[in-house]
Amino acid sequence: MIRINPEKCTGCIRCEVSCSFFHTGRVGRSRARVKVVKIEELGIDYPVICRQCEERYCARCPESAIEIGGQGQMIISPTLCTACGTCEALCPIGAIELYEDIPYVCDLCGGEPRCVQQCNMGAIEYTPGTEESNSLKAYKKRSQGLTPEEKRLRYALDMTQSLRDEWKAMIGG
Amino acid sequence: MLYGYGGHIIRIDLTSGKIVRERTDPQYMLKAIGGRGLNSLRLYEELKRDIDPLSPENMLLVAVGPLTGSLLSSSAYMTISGKSPLTGILGDSAAGGFFGPELKQAGYDQVVITGKADKPCYLVIADDHAEIREASHFWGRDIWATTTGVRMELRNNAFQIAAIGPAGENLVKFATVACNNARMCGRTGMGCLFGSKNLKAVAVRGTTPVAVAGPLTYLDLCRELDRRIIEHPEWDRRHAMGSTLLVKALNGVGILPTNHFQKGICEYVDKISGETLAEKYKVKNKSCFNCNVHCSRYYITDQAEAEGPEYETLCSYTSRIGVDDLRFALRMNAFLNRMGMDSLSSGETIGWAMECFEKGILNRDDMGGLDFTWGNKETVEKVLNLIIRREGIGDAFAEGTRSLARRFGRGTEKYAFHVKGLDMICGDPRGIKAFGLTYAIASRGADHLRAEPFFELTERYDEAERRWGIRDIANRLSNNGKAVLVEHTERQALITDCMTMCKNIGLSMDLMDFEFASRLLSAGTGLDFSQDRVDRSLRGIIDADRKMNIDFGIDSSMDTLPYRFTQEPLDEGPSKGEVVPVADMVRDYYKLRGWDEQGRPR
Repeated sequence: MIRINPEKCTGCIRCEVSCSFFHTGRVGRSRARVKVVKIEELGIDYPVICRQCEERYCARCPESAIEIGGQGQMIISPTLCTACGTCEALCPIGAIELYEDIPYVCDLCGGEPRCVQQCNMGAIEYTPGTEESNSLKAYKKRSQGLTPEEKRLRYALDMTQSLRDEWKAMIGG
Repeated sequence: MLYGYGGHIIRIDLTSGKIVRERTDPQYMLKAIGGRGLNSLRLYEELKRDIDPLSPENMLLVAVGPLTGSLLSSSAYMTISGKSPLTGILGDSAAGGFFGPELKQAGYDQVVITGKADKPCYLVIADDHAEIREASHFWGRDIWATTTGVRMELRNNAFQIAAIGPAGENLVKFATVACNNARMCGRTGMGCLFGSKNLKAVAVRGTTPVAVAGPLTYLDLCRELDRRIIEHPEWDRRHAMGSTLLVKALNGVGILPTNHFQKGICEYVDKISGETLAEKYKVKNKSCFNCNVHCSRYYITDQAEAEGPEYETLCSYTSRIGVDDLRFALRMNAFLNRMGMDSLSSGETIGWAMECFEKGILNRDDMGGLDFTWGNKETVEKVLNLIIRREGIGDAFAEGTRSLARRFGRGTEKYAFHVKGLDMICGDPRGIKAFGLTYAIASRGADHLRAEPFFELTERYDEAERRWGIRDIANRLSNNGKAVLVEHTERQALITDCMTMCKNIGLSMDLMDFEFASRLLSAGTGLDFSQDRVDRSLRGIIDADRKMNIDFGIDSSMDTLPYRFTQEPLDEGPSKGEVVPVADMVRDYYKLRGWDEQGRPR
C-alpha cells in the first residue's frame, strides 16, 4: 500500500501532477487520483490517496462496476459504471471522486506508482501488500453529506495531529 | 483548441458589476506570451496614463502564462499589474504558490479588473461561473482569517485565494496581496490597488486540466529541466535555506546591508543567518506548485509560526535596521504576512528614520515620541502598527520613503534609498555592479528581479568568455561588460515571468535559456514560438514598458542610484573602496537596448 510521511511533505503536489499527466496526458487536480490537502495556517500538507481499506466501502457499487485487483487496487469497469456517484459518497476520506462522469481512484500504476517516483522528498512511499490495521471505520462516522474535498480536509487534519504536537514540542529545543 | 493557454480573458468592472468573457487570441499571444508580458501590453494599450493610481480608472490585471500549471517544474507564478500607487509608474508583482495554476484550470489567461465597488467585495471565479460577492464581513480581517473565511463560506478548501489585509484596506501605498497566506505579491503596492477598488480578495477554482500540444516532447523537455535542477550544484543549499542563504553569502562579500547600508558586514551575522534559521526553527520544507527544489520553509518559534521568510524580509528586519534577534524577525514576517504589508518598503522607511535619527536630523518630537535608535524593536513594532492603521506618524510612513523624506525635507532625502519611488532591495550594489545597473534601469524602480544578474556572483570566468567574450562579467566588482549581462538577463527574466515560472530556477540557477524556452513554448502551445519570434516579443515588451513609463513622467535622469551608492565607498571588507559607476553602465545599456541617448525607444 501507499504510505504518507506528512513530516516530509512540502505540498508541492508533484504527486498529483504526475498522476494526472501519466494517466490522462493533462495536468489538473480533477483528473488526479491523489489529492494533496493544504492547510496553510497550520503548515500542513497531506496527500490523500486510496488506503485500500479493509472495509472497501466504494466496492459496494450498485452496478458491481468496482472490483479489487491483484495488488489490492480498485478497478473500475468503464462499461458497467453509470456514474451514479455511490462510490464517491461512500468513501469516508474522499479518495475516489468523479470528474466528467468518470470515477478517479488510485490504481497503483501497475505496481510502480508515478506519484512515488516523482516525490523527491520521500513523503509518499509504496510497499506491496497491505498493513494489518487499515480500517477507515472511524472516518465513516459523520462523513455523510460531506463533499470529497471536505472529507479529505477532515482526514488530513486528523492524520497530522501528532505531527503538530511534535512540532510544538520542538519549540525552544 | 488553444493548447497551454487557459483560452479566455475575463473582464470585470466593479463599478457596473458587468462581467465579460473574451476568447484569448493566439496571434496576440505570440507578442504578449503571457504573465507579466501580457499584463504589460494590456496596460500599454488600454490604460489611461494621467490618472490617479487610486482612481477607478486604474486597471488591476492578474495574468498567468501558457505553461503555468503544467508539468513544467515551478510553473507556479502569477503576476498582478497596474499603475503603481507607490511609484506612479508601471507597477507589478509576482507570486508563486497555487493561485496561478488554479486560474489556468479555471480557463483564464488574464483577469482584467476595472472600476470600484461601492462596498467591500470579493470575486469568485469558478470555471465558467464568475460573481462579485459582498465582503463587508471580511473587511478588517487579516489575510489568514480572510483566506480561511472565504474557503469556509464557499465550502471548499480547494479554492485558491489572493487576498489583502488591513494594510491594503487602509491604502498603505506598499500593501501586498497574498496567495496561500505567504506567497506575496509584495512590491509596488498592488494590495493598495486592491483596497482602492474595495476588493478584498479573489477566489478561484478550476477543474479543467491543462493540456499541451505535444505531450511527449513536452515531457522530455520537462524531464530535462528536472534533471538540471536536481543536479545543480546549489540544490542542497537552496533546498535547506531558500533565499535566506544570502544572509551569510552577501555578508561574506561585504554587501549585507547593515544599519541602512552604512556597512556591508554585520558582526552578528550568525545570529540572524539562514543557517541558524534552518537549524533552530525550521520544522519542514514548503513548496510552490510542482517544484522540486522546495525552497520555502515552515518555522515555529515561541512567538510565531508561519511560512518563510525570504531573504529580503529577513534582512529588512535584522541587519538593515540593526536588529540582532532572529525570533523577532520571524515574528515580524508572520505579522506582515497577516497584515498584508511589504517588508522591503516598510523596512526602508524604518531604516531611513533610524539613520536620520542617528545623524540628529530627526528627533523624538518629529517621530511622534518614538525612539528610532538602531535595533529598537519596540519602536519597530509600534510604528508598523501605526503604518497599517495610518495613525499618527504612521500616516506619513504609509506613503513610502520617497514621499516621507520629501515631507520632512532637511536633507533627509539623501537617506531615502529608492529609485523612481521603489525602495532598494537588500543587496548593496557597490559590491555587485550589474545589480546596481539593474536597480537603476528596472521598469518598476529599484528592483533586482527585472534582470537578476546573478551570474556576476558565480565567478564562472570561462563561461563568461564563452557566452559574451568578456571575462569580467563574472567579476562582481568590475563594471566591464555589465550592461551586456543586464541586457541579456533582463530578457531572460522576462521570458521566465512570461512563461510564468520561478526566477530562482530560471534565472538565479541559470537554467532557462532562450533556445530551451522556445522549445518549451512551442511544444506547450503548438504555436510558432521560434527563438526569433520570442526574442522580438521580449524586446517589444521591454520597449512598451519603457514608453509607458516615459508617459508616466520618467526620464533618463531617474535611471540612477541614491547618492550613497555612487559617491560613498564601502569602508571595509571584500567590497572595500567600491562605488557604482552607474552613469557609464546606463549609457552602455541604452545603446545595447537600441534606445537613444535619453533612454527613449526609437
